[in-house]
Amino acid sequence: MSEVGDVLTQLETRKARFVLSIGTHNLSVTNLDKVLWPATAGSTALTKRDLLRYMTRVSPWLLPHLAGRPLFVTRYPDGVNGKSFYQKHWEDPPEFARNISIYSSHNEGDGNYLICENLATLLWLSQMAGLEFHPWFSRIDLGADTRGLSLKFTGSEATLDESVLNFPDFVVLDLDPYEYSGKEGKGEEPELHRRAFKRTTELALRLRELLRGLGLKTFVKTSGRTGLHIYIPILRTFDFDAVRNIAETIGRYALQQWPKDITLEWSVERRTGKIFFDYNQNSRGKSLASIFSPRRHALGTVSMPVEWERLDKIYPTDFTIITAPELLEERGDPWSDILSSKQNLAELLEERTA
Amino acid sequence: MARAIWSGSISFGMVTIPVKLFGATESRDISFNLLHATCGTKLQQKRWCPTDEVEVPWNETARGYEFSKGQYVVLTEEDFEQLPLPSKHTIDLTAFVEEKEIDPVFYEKSYYLAPAERAEKPYALLLKALEEKKLSATASITIRKKEQLCVLRPHQGTIVLETLYYPDEVRQERGVDIGKVKVSDRELEMAFTLIELLKKPFDPSEYRDNYREALAQLIEAKLEGKQVVSAPATRETGVLDLAEALKRSVEAAKKGGKPKPASRERTRPARRRTRKVG
Repeated sequence: MSEVGDVLTQLETRKARFVLSIGTHNLSVTNLDKVLWPATAGSTALTKRDLLRYMTRVSPWLLPHLAGRPLFVTRYPDGVNGKSFYQKHWEDPPEFARNISIYSSHNEGDGNYLICENLATLLWLSQMAGLEFHPWFSRIDLGADTRGLSLKFTGSEATLDESVLNFPDFVVLDLDPYEYSGKEGKGEEPELHRRAFKRTTELALRLRELLRGLGLKTFVKTSGRTGLHIYIPILRTFDFDAVRNIAETIGRYALQQWPKDITLEWSVERRTGKIFFDYNQNSRGKSLASIFSPRRHALGTVSMPVEWERLDKIYPTDFTIITAPELLEERGDPWSDILSSKQNLAELLEERTA
Repeated sequence: MARAIWSGSISFGMVTIPVKLFGATESRDISFNLLHATCGTKLQQKRWCPTDEVEVPWNETARGYEFSKGQYVVLTEEDFEQLPLPSKHTIDLTAFVEEKEIDPVFYEKSYYLAPAERAEKPYALLLKALEEKKLSATASITIRKKEQLCVLRPHQGTIVLETLYYPDEVRQERGVDIGKVKVSDRELEMAFTLIELLKKPFDPSEYRDNYREALAQLIEAKLEGKQVVSAPATRETGVLDLAEALKRSVEAAKKGGKPKPASRERTRPARRRTRKVG
């Protein structure tokens, strides 16, 4: 029996706590009936067991996207309506979890970072109510595109600057609609609603065309909450500073083209009524919720990759920890070839401006 | 004439005179914009919180009074609204005094008072009375939320309003101590002679701002000689070809150098406070 099938069978038990065996690894799972997503008018409650099932089912598709990337995890020990912790460092991870020492300017020293490379690690995080997975855009693996870059990540900011972790695989564009439904309380973030999401998909499609005009292939996924994430896979020839400048320049260009739809405003108030084009995530140590990551949303939505051609037919709540695995098993992962689609942006710009 | 900065009325006794207030003086200093020397772009000011390392929007700011080093008491809008502001739209005349009784050190800023429509008559009456009696009127006025002491005095056919410093705003420590200095009569006579020599009526038109004129000439010369720095036409203005713009943005990042602290900071704004939705 496959590892995935084996774990799913074990999770069918009624027991709230037991020792789960994952291949050769053992993991104590507890409180499996704890509700992480309380029931709403339109949905039943979802428990930690549902989360573990989900993570297990999507793991064959998810793990390749996490490979080699330092991972931050947002934990919701009291469910999505409770307090959350954005965890970056792990003091004493189990032996099956890979970890690596990386300099952190915030800590002014080296810190222990997690790299999730197997199902056991994924389920260990889920057991701790780790819901949102935030992998870095860069990774610790060398490749044909990383000549001259080091694998030394400790000691100082400068060392890290020269390392492969300073060179991301993607330019990411984060589109957040700041159109309010009218039901939000004062100071609350905009809720998901049809009109705003439709506008966001239309903008995403226009951005896709704009970038296609430069010869660039792009990938899109729902954020799992209100917006969309666009990824441009690139060869690792640009460092984070350059990539962030690229994303900002795309944003400013788009702002000139569609000033009524886009905002780059830092102030939340001034974003109102527009779609916030966030280029700031293109920084070392910053991240977006990963593909297939569950999100803090009442219905248990996940960040789901979508074919561009289907973007105008989908809605974020179509994809939950219950529905997403089936869709994935049916249609496969539209992002499966993202890392083999990396583009030579430096060369492309040379050609276009020659 | 310039736009009125205030309108209301002068009131004394039973009389009210609707008036408007105009600045009587203006600074003619040539002002400069601060640019980034390497690219010529006008710099922006940002409100920066060094603790959270984020840029702070207006809605997250508060007004704090520093009562001892690094310790603040915070006042809210409601607190400010509770404060009394009696003379919002009136200039209440409280007393008439002789102009020479007011030492010039108290003068802060001069305004022209002009009569509002159909108020010319009472205005002219007050002006004439002040001229004839050679008197000024003390009053209070609220300009931009701040109540100020002021004096109204006739000046070349107009009533001028001078805002005054409150007595506790005029410093008492004068930094002068000449009590023990002795001056001989001969020295004093010498000083009188020099003063007599330079004594003449005051004519403001004789004085010019030489520095400003020289500066203006320099700017003129630079413009003619085309030694002008202009900001690159990107971003806010003119649509550049996207590929060209991207190439430049990459070059800009390279120029920034790698281990530069400033660029590091720039790439990490808003660690926690950017409100992420998606």
